[in-house]
Amino acid sequence: MVDSSYGKINALIVDDFGNFRATLNNILMSLGIRSVDSVASGEEALQFCKVRTYDLILCDQNLGKGKSGQQVLEELRVTSNPCRESLFILVSAESSKSIIMAAYDYEPDAYLTKPLNAKVLDQRLSRLFEQHVMLKPTYAARKKGDLHTAIDLCTQLIDKGGRNTNVCQKLLGQLYLQNNDVASAEMLYRTVLNQRELEWAQLGMVKTKIAQGDLLSAQQWLGEILHRNPQCLKAYDFQVEIHREQGNTERMQAVLQTVTDLSPLSILRQQALGDVALQNDNLLIATTALRHAVKLGDNSFLDNAHVHTQFAQAAIKLSTMDEELGRPFLRDALKGVAEIEVKFGESQNIQIQAKLLETQLQVCSGNESRAIALMTAAQAELTKPGGGELLESQIEMIRVLRLLDRMDEAEVQLKALLLENVNNEEALQKLDVLLEEPRSEKNKLMVAEINKKGIAAYKNKDFHIAEAAFNTALQKVPHHIGLRLNYIQTLIDTLKINFDDQISKKIHQSLSKCEASLNKSHVQYPRYHQLQIVYNDLTKAQKNSELNDE
Amino acid sequence: MNKLPDKGNLPKEGYPNPTVDFSFVLSSSVRDMKDSLSMLLITLAAMMEKSPPADAEQAKFFSTLEYEAARINGELVQLLSLYQMDEQSLGMHIDEHYVIDVIDEQVARNDTLFNIRKLNIRIECDANLVWYFDNEMIGGVLNNLLVNCVRYGQNQLLVSACIENDFLCISVADDGTGYPESMLEDPSPQVGASFGSSNTRLGLLFARKVLALHRSKKGQGYLVLANNSLLGGGVIKLYLP
Repeated sequence: MVDSSYGKINALIVDDFGNFRATLNNILMSLGIRSVDSVASGEEALQFCKVRTYDLILCDQNLGKGKSGQQVLEELRVTSNPCRESLFILVSAESSKSIIMAAYDYEPDAYLTKPLNAKVLDQRLSRLFEQHVMLKPTYAARKKGDLHTAIDLCTQLIDKGGRNTNVCQKLLGQLYLQNNDVASAEMLYRTVLNQRELEWAQLGMVKTKIAQGDLLSAQQWLGEILHRNPQCLKAYDFQVEIHREQGNTERMQAVLQTVTDLSPLSILRQQALGDVALQNDNLLIATTALRHAVKLGDNSFLDNAHVHTQFAQAAIKLSTMDEELGRPFLRDALKGVAEIEVKFGESQNIQIQAKLLETQLQVCSGNESRAIALMTAAQAELTKPGGGELLESQIEMIRVLRLLDRMDEAEVQLKALLLENVNNEEALQKLDVLLEEPRSEKNKLMVAEINKKGIAAYKNKDFHIAEAAFNTALQKVPHHIGLRLNYIQTLIDTLKINFDDQISKKIHQSLSKCEASLNKSHVQYPRYHQLQIVYNDLTKAQKNSELNDE
Repeated sequence: MNKLPDKGNLPKEGYPNPTVDFSFVLSSSVRDMKDSLSMLLITLAAMMEKSPPADAEQAKFFSTLEYEAARINGELVQLLSLYQMDEQSLGMHIDEHYVIDVIDEQVARNDTLFNIRKLNIRIECDANLVWYFDNEMIGGVLNNLLVNCVRYGQNQLLVSACIENDFLCISVADDGTGYPESMLEDPSPQVGASFGSSNTRLGLLFARKVLALHRSKKGQGYLVLANNSLLGGGVIKLYLP
């Protein structure tokens, strides 16, 4: 069937297999599409899409080395280019489900599975183009920001009925929410749900509930969705969003661990997991996730310097805590740091920061002479005029000095930095990560408030809330001894009620941290020592009772 | 074609994992096989167009090639899906679909096969009939049924869809000799015996599992086998809530 309307279409074929490109080209020609380009890789595809507007892109998911079809799609949809709204069909040899599992937010207009023939392609294309033409005015209105017109147009299409009602309903729900007309969105989704429990409408309900600030109902909807379909990645993403809003980083991490297990190729989820696990001081999980994120960054435009930095910082922290655990990550972390300079190293600050991260990684790897050479070079840069402005690099320098056990030097430099920035609240906030007591007004206030909240909860024996409060504050000021001891005391009381290995590990980790930074003359030393004794007694008692059980 | 595995680049733990992840091996092999199969089918179609069979014998060769390739494809899809069901890693994506789209697509996929087998296919389905299901899974089931009908050498096939007691019923009827009595009585596969001897039964197991994953307040999907269809042969009916 040759359709005359195909005549004006520009199509792009992306497949790493030459024979397949040629065959697909013939099929498209036989359908009357005269202008067809084809390329073998995702990188080439993106270059072609910068200079030419394609109406149709047929892209294989598995393109061998380099970018995958999904990554090409993400980049086209997010970055500025003439093919941002092109019809994108993801072709795969497997069923589409495995692709969906790797995907994040960007869905292609259609999935097609191999084997393909002219007839199948013709059917699908004619349906898609019909829909595309029909929805064009609505999309155009939305793009202009004229949501009222878009909503009107979409409603008219639904009233007309016919084959694209389902697609229009989905779009209308999005438009209502975009327009903050939450009540209309809710009505639409409820109408659909009265007919049948469809996942997209249930997810729509989650969005409306979040928009209404009713997080509890949103959670209930999510529970229902996940009960029916434990593979629903979007539902997990919403759970993460809700826990983030509630400031519950432990829950966030748990959900992100589940969802990255289901979709290990999603770079944004790995980045998020690494970030939150780092906040929670779960260093092994953080380092593992960040390594994945950096690796996935090889072919993704979502890669950034921050993730590489975090990976290095996590690997350094992990190695400092446990040499054995950290060792397997050091090589990749060094590679990741080297990439910072190549991929993102435009600013001097980033370059020096990368050098200093490399310094610390070299210390962890036992190459002290290499580390000192790197440090000396960086120090020369930092003492030049204007070096004081490179705050992130200065912070890394202090970490280097501490790692090399040059505590006095570290203190001198830190004091100088604090003096220099005494009236710079923003800088002080950044420097607080190095300090026992916060200097910035914001963090002082935050620590005071959370500490108060934590203590109140502790007195009420709400140990869980108290723990979460102290932990949140510690994320901003990890060296705050008073807070850390409060945190440990809360955990010990939890442990007294029920001995849990995970909690015991957390206590052990926190006590080691204190030990590293406290000398006997510190005012908090006696309290630390006391807690250490209580904890040791508890673990001993636990061991004895385990022996008795046997 | 030697492609890099998707998951293989990402060892889960600190050290690269030397153990073999079977689901990964399976899915990447299936992917490669289907790539090759795709080429085989496309080349075959092109060849028949360029140089149509000169005699009945050649036509038969073509038809065998086409049929066997289509069958391998169906088997591969089925194998992977069953494995994923077993691992509970198969997510269902139930949405509203036009029934005719799914039927049309599966018939189109087997276009060359039907042509060379001179199988006459009739579709009876209201163009506006809409239902709720996972179109890819149901498409896979339908594809297997269609290819299977070719195997038993019928000349006519009727694919129809309608609503029966508030369930969608998609039926595939043929003019063959019908299903054997033993299958009508107990269509479930006997583990061990039937996997080697009767492929149809593995196909039925797959269809049953897919249907059962479609649930609503009305109940869950199921299938019914019968003889004496409209065309005189067997008929298989897929019911979806």
